[in-house]
Amino acid sequence: MAVLTEDHSRSGFPGSHQVDPIPVAIRTRPPSDPEATGRFAATDPPRGLDIARLKRVGGLLRDRRLQFLLILPNQIIFWLVIAIGIVGTVVPGLNFATAITWYLWFCLVFVMMVVVGRAWCAMCPFGGFGEWVQRRTFFKRTTKSLGLGLKMPERVAQYGFLLSVGAFLVLTWIEEFFNIAGPGNPMATSFMVLGIVGTALVFFLTFERRTFCRYVCPLSALIGTVGAMGSVAGFRTRDRSVCLSCATKDCMRGDAEGFGCPWYTWPGSADSNAACGLCTECYKACPSDNIGLYLQPPLTSVVAPSRRRADVAWSVALLFGLVLYQQVNALGAFVSLDNWLNTHLHFPQYPNPVDYVGIIAAVAVVLAAIGRLFSVAFARRDVVLAPGGTSFVERTSRFRSYFVPLMYGIIPVVGADYFARQLPKFLRYVPRVPVSIGHLFGFGSTSSRLYHASLIASNAGIIAVQDLVIALGTAAAMWASWRIAGRDLAPLSRRPLAARVAATALAGALGVVVAVLYVWMNAAN
Amino acid sequence: MTITETERTDTGRHVTVLVDRCAGCQECVIRCPAGALSMESASWTAQADDALCVGCRQCERTCPFSAIVVEGPLALATRVDPPVRHPVELHANVTETRPGYATWDEAIAEANRCLACPDPTCVRGCPAHNDIPAFVAAIRDHDLETAHAILRRTTVLPDVCSRVCNQAAQCEGSCTWSLAGGEPVAIGRLERFIADQVAVPAPVVVEPTATALSVGIVGSGPAAIGAAYELLAGGARVTVYERDDRPGGLLVWGIPDFTLPDVVARRPWEDLVAAGVDLRLATSVEPGDLDQLLEAHDALVMAHGAGQAMRLSVPGADLDGVGTATAFLQGAKAALDPGGDPAAFRASLGVAPGRGRRVLVLGAGNTAMDVARLARRVGLEATCVDWLDERFALARPDELAEARAEGVDVRFSRTLTSLEGFDGRVVRAVLSHTTQRDRTSAPVVSPDALDVLAVDLVVMAMGYRIEEGLRAHVPQTPIVKRHRGFAPGRWSASGILANPASPACFAQPVGALALDREVGLWESAMPRRERLWAAGDALTGPSTVVEAMAQGRRAARAVLDARPSRDGRAHGAEPSSPRVLVAYASASGTTARLAEVVGDELRRSGATVSVLPVERVDALAVAQADALVLGSWVEGLVVARVRAARAMRDFVDGLPWLGGRPVAVYCTYGVNPRTAPAELAHQVEARGGTVVASATFGPGDRAEDARIRPTKPEAFAHRVAAQVLTQRARATVA
Ligand code: SF4
Ligand code: SF4
Ligand code: SF4
Ligand code: SF4
Ligand code: SF4
Ligand code: SF4
Repeated sequence: MAVLTEDHSRSGFPGSHQVDPIPVAIRTRPPSDPEATGRFAATDPPRGLDIARLKRVGGLLRDRRLQFLLILPNQIIFWLVIAIGIVGTVVPGLNFATAITWYLWFCLVFVMMVVVGRAWCAMCPFGGFGEWVQRRTFFKRTTKSLGLGLKMPERVAQYGFLLSVGAFLVLTWIEEFFNIAGPGNPMATSFMVLGIVGTALVFFLTFERRTFCRYVCPLSALIGTVGAMGSVAGFRTRDRSVCLSCATKDCMRGDAEGFGCPWYTWPGSADSNAACGLCTECYKACPSDNIGLYLQPPLTSVVAPSRRRADVAWSVALLFGLVLYQQVNALGAFVSLDNWLNTHLHFPQYPNPVDYVGIIAAVAVVLAAIGRLFSVAFARRDVVLAPGGTSFVERTSRFRSYFVPLMYGIIPVVGADYFARQLPKFLRYVPRVPVSIGHLFGFGSTSSRLYHASLIASNAGIIAVQDLVIALGTAAAMWASWRIAGRDLAPLSRRPLAARVAATALAGALGVVVAVLYVWMNAAN
Repeated sequence: MTITETERTDTGRHVTVLVDRCAGCQECVIRCPAGALSMESASWTAQADDALCVGCRQCERTCPFSAIVVEGPLALATRVDPPVRHPVELHANVTETRPGYATWDEAIAEANRCLACPDPTCVRGCPAHNDIPAFVAAIRDHDLETAHAILRRTTVLPDVCSRVCNQAAQCEGSCTWSLAGGEPVAIGRLERFIADQVAVPAPVVVEPTATALSVGIVGSGPAAIGAAYELLAGGARVTVYERDDRPGGLLVWGIPDFTLPDVVARRPWEDLVAAGVDLRLATSVEPGDLDQLLEAHDALVMAHGAGQAMRLSVPGADLDGVGTATAFLQGAKAALDPGGDPAAFRASLGVAPGRGRRVLVLGAGNTAMDVARLARRVGLEATCVDWLDERFALARPDELAEARAEGVDVRFSRTLTSLEGFDGRVVRAVLSHTTQRDRTSAPVVSPDALDVLAVDLVVMAMGYRIEEGLRAHVPQTPIVKRHRGFAPGRWSASGILANPASPACFAQPVGALALDREVGLWESAMPRRERLWAAGDALTGPSTVVEAMAQGRRAARAVLDARPSRDGRAHGAEPSSPRVLVAYASASGTTARLAEVVGDELRRSGATVSVLPVERVDALAVAQADALVLGSWVEGLVVARVRAARAMRDFVDGLPWLGGRPVAVYCTYGVNPRTAPAELAHQVEARGGTVVASATFGPGDRAEDARIRPTKPEAFAHRVAAQVLTQRARATVA
């Protein structure tokens, strides 16, 4: 006898002589009710936008093979990338590994990020591979996992996404150093991908669930922050009161139908799409059919969350630093600086780690200084801050109460900037992807007409597209900042309107800086 | 007080909520016995007040994301344990060795150690699921009537169980303090205190009407006692057939007086006979009698136990002086009764004056301990040998210690190789050494190391099994008491399974053991075949008193629910409406909607219906239902293997034995159901169900598309109703 034991105690027939004595002895305390505090009202997606209610979608999401089938094609492509990068042609533009990775994939990931959120995570071959090994299955629900199953130590876990930002910075530096995305030697791309898969595997075998994805994956922080603009809210509770009185929390613990949430997210308290990997496990596991897959208006997860996280704010600041660095490094002044540093520090080549870290840190510090300035200029002295905790994510301060919302507000600029940075490669070179595929089968070469084709070839055209993207992002950021400041900053400020205007202006100003840099960059080219 | 880490207070206890991982689900908050946890509403994470925390670690065990960590000592007073009595003169001494609480002070002091856990793991650990925190609270209130009333909801043998239960593997082993590594609340002693102070209340009797159920019970051990109490309370007429000339089965012959005094062991049957049970002693039921009994009664509860002692077949096993535990226990008990004569008993065993007095007891489980300790009391020397390693001993650790204190020589990692005789009587035993790696692996016998022991008597006390004759007539027994697959959510949620095998419960996986016992409980609710139930050792093989009692009660209530009827019995006035459980596995909602359609039709036909997805069906609902309807979507495409959904197949596999219960099946399909319904029906039959109807519903047949009435699902429901209602009608009219 397996599945059947006393479980959901309300299933019995009335008037029966048989009663289950265990529920009688359970006298749990009443849970505190978040509806009463209005805790989640602003972040709950519109009830009507639950696409899991559509019959076909619901059926698909219930199928244990869905995730497998999403991961499988990417898995095949990335193992091909690894293999072809090593054994294939050394012409980067013709090598499938480099072509697909840098002309198409990176750009697609950004599109998915901005439109959906963690769509990539649902199909990611890196985490997917680790997870298969950890669970010892492709899609079945298993109980015994492979590996040590440790928990991420709190000392590290308290920094949330920041570890992931660190990983992204390191990876980007390596990529610049070896000119992997240039694209340089295709083999470098192979080793990079292999490195990510290997690291992921080590983490999956050391820690439980998707600790790698939640804390370490280089893409995770970027997707978690920029993805907040996305229009998919993720898997959320349909009726919070059902979740509150739910005696089993199968979505967190797992049951026969699904694993417990690998991302440490409880659909009952999720207030943004940042930590839902769209893996469908909770949807399968919930015995009360109380989970939906919700759409939301764009920017909801930027504007609405009431629990704003410091790790997200610092991630935004650092990621902005990185993308600015990548813009600045095309400028003549930077090249001189980098060369000067390399000569004096005896570092072989671009990029010098000192200016790399320096510029990124400088941007983050400037943004923090702006946050500080806001708090000095606007903060009301009579406002008592909520008591925070001692861990990084939970501390509260006057500085944070301005800095954190401001950083949420500029997420669209940062997102647009990253996207715009990928555009030239995509617009110029994406026609090479089919050529590189053809090359694998013996036709297609650097002399193919398609190889030299572009979606947009001219500098002016590309700048126009880039600045259009930035303009959109800036507008979104200004709108978001206006809203965020209205809710989060105004009540703390002496001059609420001025604070709102200043926050909005900040977003606008950053957008202008970015747009101008694109013009300069291309001029420098 | 802060969110993440509370100030260190001088209690030395410190609760850390790992805020990054805490999702605010409140699993810890609603279960904290001390009220030390609450929600921090801004961040929606748990927060702790160290000053209130008692260190029980319940929160750690229940948090689904392992987001809470407790450090520091347990706030736990010393357990009140009256010392074991070691009789100065063991010979012929049958006074109880384990005393109860003599004073209210002791009992209250112990009761105060109980935290009244909101989701008490001890209750899951108790095989009868006694509401322990409630009766402990009643003791604290000095209200023993209420305490008895609470106990009566789940047990009819509190005086017996509190003495004979292996609490370390059951209630006490599962106490939150035990799971946290501390000394558990002395639940057994507190339960006993209630029964010591105020007599266990007499059975509740509802006077049987002229048309009352008549139920026969075979056997009179704890399972029979449990069943008889419930049947009396349900207004049934109860007849008990006992082979012995004394009722009580194992309670009276299998447990020595120094553990269970005679007055306590006799109490249940004195009460039951006074309450009107028709007890027929010295009436042996043979397999051939069953049909006749089924004609005489509406239902039979087989509670004949597992009384056949196991024998070891080694060279010399047929020598004089080699016997079984059953005979020895019965003889020794009689010899120690007032008016008995230990010397005469010894003589009857062939242990004559002037000869050695060493009895070799084979086994070192609880039965062997009883044999050896009785042997000491009738003036014999006792050596127990067991091939298990001492670390994995089957006997209760306290029992083992007491036996050794009474001079029993217990040797583990030894097994009997042969017995040697002189003049046809056993004189020597040859023992081999064994080694055992872990609990689950069988010991390995090493060929060279041998002990030779001079013995005068050998008692085989390796345990019992069900007598083959009756067993063959009770289908699917003994059951395998093993919970397979995923632990039910509420069990995981309670934290009982997250037990670190604490030393307080002798490193036993108490949660897993409890879950396995649950299987026996739910199987006892299902008939083995039409109108025949089984409970206790007859169902599960040798087990414990409390389990047998609980299963007997469960079986009796199932009988009351099922209201079976032998031919020719006039039933009560109103025919009761049959209970039908419609369980479905649905992917897109079609199968679920059809389940509702079928359910509605059945209701219209007069049935009481419960419609549930398979993952929400619990054993209770299955046990209560008179009939099942199973609906499943079919997996696989035309080319792949087409069959009922995995969820449904797993569900049917996990069903208890259905014992002939009527089952109807339907499958919903998109293209072609192929053999899916037939396979599902086959699977149901393999679980003992009787398939009464089967149907498939394709895209055109679904209720919402249908223009004709009745639709195909409705027609299916009518067929099911006809089957189920006729059965009921047959039972009602006759
Ligand atoms: S989503 Fe389902 S399983 Fe999870 S808490 Fe809510 S009702 Fe329970
Ligand atoms: S289990 Fe649910 S909440 Fe968790 S990552 Fe997967 S889809 Fe998102
Ligand atoms: S250890 Fe026990 S008392 Fe302390 S917070 Fe956890 S559940 Fe509450
Ligand atoms: S049980 Fe765990 S996740 Fe849930 S509120 Fe408590 S600490 Fe947080
Ligand atoms: S019946 Fe046995 S297991 Fe249950 S509470 Fe009493 S002593 Fe403990
Ligand atoms: S006996 Fe132990 S587990 Fe049971 S309620 Fe008391 S403290 Fe809790």
